[in-house]
Amino acid sequence: MRPGLPIGNLLAGGIGVELVYSFIIIICSLMIYFATKEMDKLSSYKGIKYFRLSFLFFAFAYFFRYFIQIFLFSFNLKGILEFSPMFFGAISLFVFLYFSTMAIFFLLYSVMWKKWNHSKLTIILFNVSALIMAFALIFSRGIFVYLLINLILLLVVLFILFIAYKDSKKKSKTGSPFIIYLLLSIFWILNITDILIPRFLSIYQLLVYLISILLFMIILYKVLKKTGS
Amino acid sequence: MVKRGKLEIMKDILNIIKENKNLIKPTPLLRKSNLSSQRFQKYFSELIKKGFIKEVEDKNGKLIGLTDKGFKFLERYRTIISFIDEFEL
Repeated sequence: MRPGLPIGNLLAGGIGVELVYSFIIIICSLMIYFATKEMDKLSSYKGIKYFRLSFLFFAFAYFFRYFIQIFLFSFNLKGILEFSPMFFGAISLFVFLYFSTMAIFFLLYSVMWKKWNHSKLTIILFNVSALIMAFALIFSRGIFVYLLINLILLLVVLFILFIAYKDSKKKSKTGSPFIIYLLLSIFWILNITDILIPRFLSIYQLLVYLISILLFMIILYKVLKKTGS
Repeated sequence: MVKRGKLEIMKDILNIIKENKNLIKPTPLLRKSNLSSQRFQKYFSELIKKGFIKEVEDKNGKLIGLTDKGFKFLERYRTIISFIDEFEL
């Protein structure tokens, strides 16, 4: 890389860590998505379809979280960002929130689809809710709204965890089949603490990223083990 | 008696075909599948549409056989069910 490019400043500023973090989450999510492709094609089972979509949307979310800005910087398109940094920041946050909300909703639907009829209506409702949340954040631009939205999503994840736990108890399974949802709940809680942590506590933030990566890798391992990939 | 799920019924139908040296007439297949003719027709059409089974004509009339995709489904069936169970899908 040529010296003096803004990417160097970005890396020095800690965005490099966030870039690596996002990259690993994207890779893990895409690996889960592609590892379950054959099963989805063979079975056409709705639960598997929405489970996969959930991780695809996680990948999209993390792609838009940092990659767009990094892309503009690395291709020396800094002028666009300088022209309206608030605009690009808002757009990337809007898309990130929309995709991550949809990812959680798809995960919820993958465990609830048998109990909920009208799948088309449910998906439309999910999209509308995700868009409302994303618009609410953009127009308010407040950390309180962002925190509130994340707390709502955490409740959704905890609900999924509860359903999975209840079902596994009903079937009196051994082990912890709902562990993936437990890991995702912890991941989401870490996401929320990341919002609350002041930027200067970079060591704590780094720790949050490392734990999040570890959680996603465990989820990936469990999925790969089950699919036999 | 526990009601069979969709995937299990599909697996059962495919297994019947496989156990009959991969060629069976529609009537014995219907009988062995333990389904009403209406439900059987529904599953039969779906298996054809998904490319799991194929119809072949010979001197004795129409016969049904598994395709490669059908064999693949049988091979992966346990993994699919175990995945669905594991993640409560």
